Amino acid sequence: MSRRRLALNAAGFVVAAVVVAFLPRFISSYHALEWANVGIYFTALLGLNVLTGYSGQISLGHGAFMAIGGYTSAILIAHHGVRDVWTIPLAGLVAGGVGLAFGLPALRLRGFYLALATFGVAVAFPALVQKFDHFTGGSVGLPLTLHSNDWLYYLAWAIAGAGLLLGRLVLATPIGRAFRALRDSEVAAVSSGISPALYKTLAFGISSFYAGIAGALYAIAAAYVTPQTFPITLSLFLVVGLAVGGLGSLAGSVVGAILIQFLPPLAPHLGHAPPQVLEGAVLVAVMLLLPGGAAGLLRLVQSSRQS
Amino acid sequence: MKVAVAAAVLLVAASTAGARPVATPGVTSSSILIGGTVPLTGEAAAAAGVARGADAYFKYVDAKGGVLGRKITYKYVDDGYEPQRTFLDVRQLVQQDGVFAIFNSLGTSNNAAIRGFLNQAGVPQLFVASGASTFGRDYKKYPWTIGFIPTYSAEGKVYARYLLKNKRGAKIAVLYQDDDYGKELVSGLQTGLGPKKSLIVKKVGYDPTASDVRSEVAQLKASKAKVFMIFAFGKFAVQAFITANQLGWHPQIVVNDVAAATSLMQLSPPKATEGAISIVFGKDPDAPAWKRDKGLKLFRSIMTRYAAGQTPNGYYAAGMAAAYTLVDTLKKAGKNLTRKSVMTAATHLNEKSNPFVLPGIRIHTTPSYRFPISQVRLERWHKGHWVLFGPLLSAKP
Amino acid sequence: MAEFWQQVVSGLASGGIYASLALALVIVYRSSGVINFAQGEMATFATFLAWTLLDHGLSYWPAFALTLAIAFAGGVALERVLIRPVEGRPVLTVVILTIGLLILINGATQWIWGGATRKFPSPFSTRPIHVVSAAFSIQDLGIVGVSLAAVALLSLFFRFTKLGLGLRAAAVNPEESRLVGVRVGWMLALGWGLAAALGAVSGMMVAPVVFLDPNMMQGVLLYAFAAAMLGGLASPVGAVVGGLALGVVLNLLGTYVSTFSGQMRLVGGLAVILVVLLVRPTGLFGRTAVRRV
Repeated sequence: MSRRRLALNAAGFVVAAVVVAFLPRFISSYHALEWANVGIYFTALLGLNVLTGYSGQISLGHGAFMAIGGYTSAILIAHHGVRDVWTIPLAGLVAGGVGLAFGLPALRLRGFYLALATFGVAVAFPALVQKFDHFTGGSVGLPLTLHSNDWLYYLAWAIAGAGLLLGRLVLATPIGRAFRALRDSEVAAVSSGISPALYKTLAFGISSFYAGIAGALYAIAAAYVTPQTFPITLSLFLVVGLAVGGLGSLAGSVVGAILIQFLPPLAPHLGHAPPQVLEGAVLVAVMLLLPGGAAGLLRLVQSSRQS
Repeated sequence: MKVAVAAAVLLVAASTAGARPVATPGVTSSSILIGGTVPLTGEAAAAAGVARGADAYFKYVDAKGGVLGRKITYKYVDDGYEPQRTFLDVRQLVQQDGVFAIFNSLGTSNNAAIRGFLNQAGVPQLFVASGASTFGRDYKKYPWTIGFIPTYSAEGKVYARYLLKNKRGAKIAVLYQDDDYGKELVSGLQTGLGPKKSLIVKKVGYDPTASDVRSEVAQLKASKAKVFMIFAFGKFAVQAFITANQLGWHPQIVVNDVAAATSLMQLSPPKATEGAISIVFGKDPDAPAWKRDKGLKLFRSIMTRYAAGQTPNGYYAAGMAAAYTLVDTLKKAGKNLTRKSVMTAATHLNEKSNPFVLPGIRIHTTPSYRFPISQVRLERWHKGHWVLFGPLLSAKP
Repeated sequence: MAEFWQQVVSGLASGGIYASLALALVIVYRSSGVINFAQGEMATFATFLAWTLLDHGLSYWPAFALTLAIAFAGGVALERVLIRPVEGRPVLTVVILTIGLLILINGATQWIWGGATRKFPSPFSTRPIHVVSAAFSIQDLGIVGVSLAAVALLSLFFRFTKLGLGLRAAAVNPEESRLVGVRVGWMLALGWGLAAALGAVSGMMVAPVVFLDPNMMQGVLLYAFAAAMLGGLASPVGAVVGGLALGVVLNLLGTYVSTFSGQMRLVGGLAVILVVLLVRPTGLFGRTAVRRV
């Protein structure tokens, strides 16, 4: 990346950081909670972007990795009295470990098959939580400490910011190049000596690490977890946010996160249709007209300005 | 003496003159804002009548001047029966809209998801629309929460007592929804049977996300039990009736209250449902027994006036019953309406005049007994309607 | 022993339900190489259409036929308008598109008909038949029978008609098919139309049992996927055999292995999908495809 681009990116990041830091002073407490959720979804989408946008593997089940992180956190807090902030990295590690383990067999699956397998995992996961109810609390769930909305906001965005920087860093290394090479042409990548097994599995691990952290934050923000906290619709919405934000664009994930948070409550105001009609329509429209998502739109605008 | 009276009068006058409108959220000198969540869309949408019935009743009360000069506005929001949405909705109602209290929210896990937050924030969680006993029982941890309808475990006990008396020694098979709702009904039944618990020869749980329960019913039939308890929800209850009938199994069926709505029962062929037993605490608008009842006449007139075009059914009646109790509570809380005063009123109820519950039911609470309705009657399904039988029974948890 | 046979029979009945939706999934996959996540919702929508026709006084079989025709047309239109533009785009785009359709159609169904549960009539009698100690109804037989008939008709269609041949050719090798005059675009649309019609049949068979509501097919979808995978995604016969087998296996597991009762049935379905994907991705009846590099 050229010096100029790097400087522009850094400047952009600083501006964004300032906006994020000062926003809570201008908005109500409830809005702070909503934006905290945006930060949480952003973290999850960062990870999903690494998996799908960069290493080309589809996951329709990332809600399940969020659930693993969320429940790890909840069990530590509720049963072992660990302070919630410390559970977050642990949640990420557990989820990341499961992701690595999942990544190995996932190597044999491609495209639709992987989508199907991950879809199945997300659908069946709440049942597993219910089954092991002696330590997950079953459908009664586990109550957690409640925090102020502003505290949640700052925590979520601090983590999101750190996640973004970390992600950028990793992708700038040879690991990132390997991911991109695999995505663009697996055959070419293999013939240049890149081991798909290693990198694809690593991508799964990284993305589920992020998802686990996001899940832990999600649980802490809700101050309560039940099997219904992480339903299949969450997994589907993450994919929606990814697609709308733009694959392969870390910053585009913010757009996706905003969509996930604000579209469902917005929908009832636009007529009497249930929110799914609007959500589905937006998704179909974006896929048809703007498959590159928001990031693609931005690129279009940039390139038309240059020409 | 005269001086003392004059001084007292002056004192009272001075204190009321200096009094400003109470800085309680959701309360002004002329209005009260109440919030709630119900599934207006999604699989449980049929139960949304609970909120609509309550809303119609509040409009009726407002038309007559409101409660102590304050008109009630009831803002109920769709949560699609998803606890995650319930949580966000309630936080919005409290932090954004500044409601005075949360009332009549529907769903066991939904209410569980918001209970911690409401209690931490000191917001009353009144008359929860769920029969899970935790809402009335765990008041030490959650002092701002109070239930309303008879608990599921009490319901199980009522059935146990009926069976011990009228179906002595009969073997029992139980189909239950594999979550807290179903499990509490089962544990109530077991507790109620006491030493005769072993009469339950088979119990099978089913997955609430499944498409059908035929395999489970077939397993239960194989137990050769003479009594079949259906502790289910919605269409699963209907399937259980139909499957048992199709398999040629005709035991005495007992179905739980929530799954016994007339509209649901009518989805099964009459042969499958004839003679089934359930409990009830409210007046069912579809039951012929209440055709001339004054309370239901009021119900119907309110529905026509304030909920025109909607089908009056048991859910609407239950909602109006809860609304009546809320209005009663607000009256008792007095002109100086605060969250604290409303909780005090809610935990000192002694209401005998609720027109929408069965005659003779006394809605009664104390600070340590938070189960407003704990009396029910048994009813039997006969030729397409529920028919009451027997006396008022205790449904203490 | 009696209970064993009863569970087998009930399992076949449930399996018939999975099989009928799995068939629709297989047809779409076979003709356009896409797994349509919205297949279940399309089936539900079509069933609601049928309900409306019946509600307006049409008798059963005319309503059934008309629904099939409308569903077919709808499937064709969907393919032409929504799927065609994303042909050749990355898999993820198509996957997300069908998920968007899933959400949209589910919402539309709720919007038009509301969420209440309704009764739906069955063309078959529900009177129980007792064979030795197991009981089932003609309706159960009917569901299985209809799936088998559909498979048989489809197999004949694919093998012996020009159109069927064209469909298969277009799916396997679009370029060369064009060269020999096959109108590839319309073949794809035909595949979607057929699948939509099959989905409608599935919905109308299932609704009398599980009752009609907008989320009716959601409980079936995962099992339909599992059935399709088990049989081999491109094999109609496989879908039906897979569905029936799955129904029986899940029932028996649920009855005799207590871990798999209740909610864990879903996990059982998932396990089938995962095992098939990992051990024999082409399923019981599929043929291994060779990817040219």
